[in-house]
Amino acid sequence: MIRCEHLCKVYHGVPAVDDLCLEVPEGEVFGLLGPNGAGKSTTILMLTGLIEPTSGACYIDDLEVATHPIEVKKKIGYMPEDVGFYPTLTAEENLEYSAKLYGMGKERKERIKELLALVGLEGVTKEVGGFSKGMRQRLGIAKALINHPKAIILDEPTANLDPQGVADYRRIIRHVADQGTTVLVSSHILSEVSKVCTSAGILAHGKLVAHGTWDELARIGGDEKVVIHIETRTPMPDLQSPALVAAEFAENRHRARIVATVDIRDELADTLAEAGVAIRSLEAEHPDIEDVFLSYYHTTEEAA
Amino acid sequence: MRTSILGIIAGKEFRDHIRSRRVHIILAIFLIIAVVGLIDGAVNYQEQIDHYNENLAQTDDEMMHAIFWWKPSILSAFNRMSDLIATVGIVLGCAMGFDLISREKESKSLKMLLSHPVYRDEVINGKALGGTAAIAAAMGIVLVVSFAILLIFGVVPNFDESVRILIFGVISFLLIFSYFAIALFMSTVAESSSNALIYTLIIFIVLSTLIPAVATNQTVQKVVIGEAPEPPDPPETVGGPTGSFNVMVKPMPIEISGEVEEAWREYEEESRAYWEKRRAFIDTVNLLSPSKNYQEMTMAVTEPGYAASMLSDDPYSFDRPKDLPQSGLEILAAIIGELAHYIIALIVMPAVFFGLAWVKFAREDIR
Repeated sequence: MIRCEHLCKVYHGVPAVDDLCLEVPEGEVFGLLGPNGAGKSTTILMLTGLIEPTSGACYIDDLEVATHPIEVKKKIGYMPEDVGFYPTLTAEENLEYSAKLYGMGKERKERIKELLALVGLEGVTKEVGGFSKGMRQRLGIAKALINHPKAIILDEPTANLDPQGVADYRRIIRHVADQGTTVLVSSHILSEVSKVCTSAGILAHGKLVAHGTWDELARIGGDEKVVIHIETRTPMPDLQSPALVAAEFAENRHRARIVATVDIRDELADTLAEAGVAIRSLEAEHPDIEDVFLSYYHTTEEAA
Repeated sequence: MRTSILGIIAGKEFRDHIRSRRVHIILAIFLIIAVVGLIDGAVNYQEQIDHYNENLAQTDDEMMHAIFWWKPSILSAFNRMSDLIATVGIVLGCAMGFDLISREKESKSLKMLLSHPVYRDEVINGKALGGTAAIAAAMGIVLVVSFAILLIFGVVPNFDESVRILIFGVISFLLIFSYFAIALFMSTVAESSSNALIYTLIIFIVLSTLIPAVATNQTVQKVVIGEAPEPPDPPETVGGPTGSFNVMVKPMPIEISGEVEEAWREYEEESRAYWEKRRAFIDTVNLLSPSKNYQEMTMAVTEPGYAASMLSDDPYSFDRPKDLPQSGLEILAAIIGELAHYIIALIVMPAVFFGLAWVKFAREDIR
């Protein structure tokens, strides 16, 4: 549904997006992750036809965006990071204007009502100029859905939302995804993306450094190392194993931090039992997903 | 470009303008001053027409033709109103255009707008169309109120005057539209509305004050068209005035020798050529000033007799040119024909600025 082929965008000689190749299948909820300045918003602007690529191409539903911007815009819904509306119009009037621009007929009234209820803005009659950032964000989600898009593209959708707003946003994304709509969410907040997306791509310095499902990303990025914490009632002897990478002891050898290439907890338990050491606790620590993603960023920074 | 989308954008812009508090305030000031000016003009007109009728009763037809060949008209009140439009009207045009694009950039709604299936030319054309319609509506209100004031004071414009009032309205619309287009261009160029307003005001000052000042500046004229010819030494018996006023004063018909007569004839010819060149220079430079073009055209429309005398080739004569029609709409049409370059300039100026705004907006990266 969404495809980028060797996509590049250069601003004043500096590549903001560099040879990006990406594919998001239909019906998938895809997260585009990366630190600030990684090229996420630039990629999205090219996908939505707001800027043209310096080279390469991007496609929505097999239509090249640069050559068919109007057809593409009819198929997508977009919410920018800095969502803006006409401050002197109400939420309903803003959506009405939007619906007219999509060429929607009288059915737009019903759709607007439905969407305002979905984002929790029904009955709000004040002008958008008096809205909080969170309310604007909710309205932005409604605007992105007004034309029954085949794909929606959301740039930092939870940036200004309160906890209730975030919960509502997740509910809406799941609702939309259940209907088969492809969703692309750009964010630098990993926890947010991980809660709604089925797969993700990581951008750093304009390049796609990794992509796949969460498990795939964690496995590759985590370097397949396991950290094991041991606490015993009596001092531990030296520990031996072919999988052992490092062992650090503390508190008179009552505590140890073991790094191994695989999970060797059973082997360690047996060794300690044979040595007559009573175990108080034995835990394996899988790498935190944020550490995994930071490692991607750092690797790219070092390479750059 | 699709007319349906254009209509939707223009309609929204038009509604924004007519709902804008800023436009309401300026239009209200505009109307109040117009009403006061017209009341003053109507009273003045009554006095002028009484004076004219008294003179008509006291003089024969030949004298009438020579001295009072243009009758007072209620249009002179509109001539006064043109000064108002050249200030408040321009402010209205600037106020309606200076933040059309920059405000959308600031409120981030431009990115949202362009994410819809719309072409950029539809957006800027729609904005221009909506603004144009709002200016036309404002001028329409001013003209309707003006007619109403005249009727209240018992002045019923005849067909000739009604046509001239309408033409006055169209020319005023073109002036306001010129500054609207300039402000729209500045709105696409500037990053913020405040900058756009400052740039628009700078252009306004340049076009309405600096250019006419440059056109009439004697030093500039000396550089561009040279020195004015010096009159020959006057015969001792004449003792005429000296200095620059010489060229404006018709020489006294006196007995002078053939040599002196020849020198004066040459001087007259050189003087005539100089004044023609000077007028051409001033006219050409002033074409860049919508305010100046507007003043010339409103003078022609509201005071066609006076405008006709200004068209005379003879710098010493205040008589109406003989080749111009003598009355009614014919003289108006003839004068407008003579001054068509001012109308063309009033159309070209907004067209150029709108074209520049169009190109800038179409090429702009929206980030």
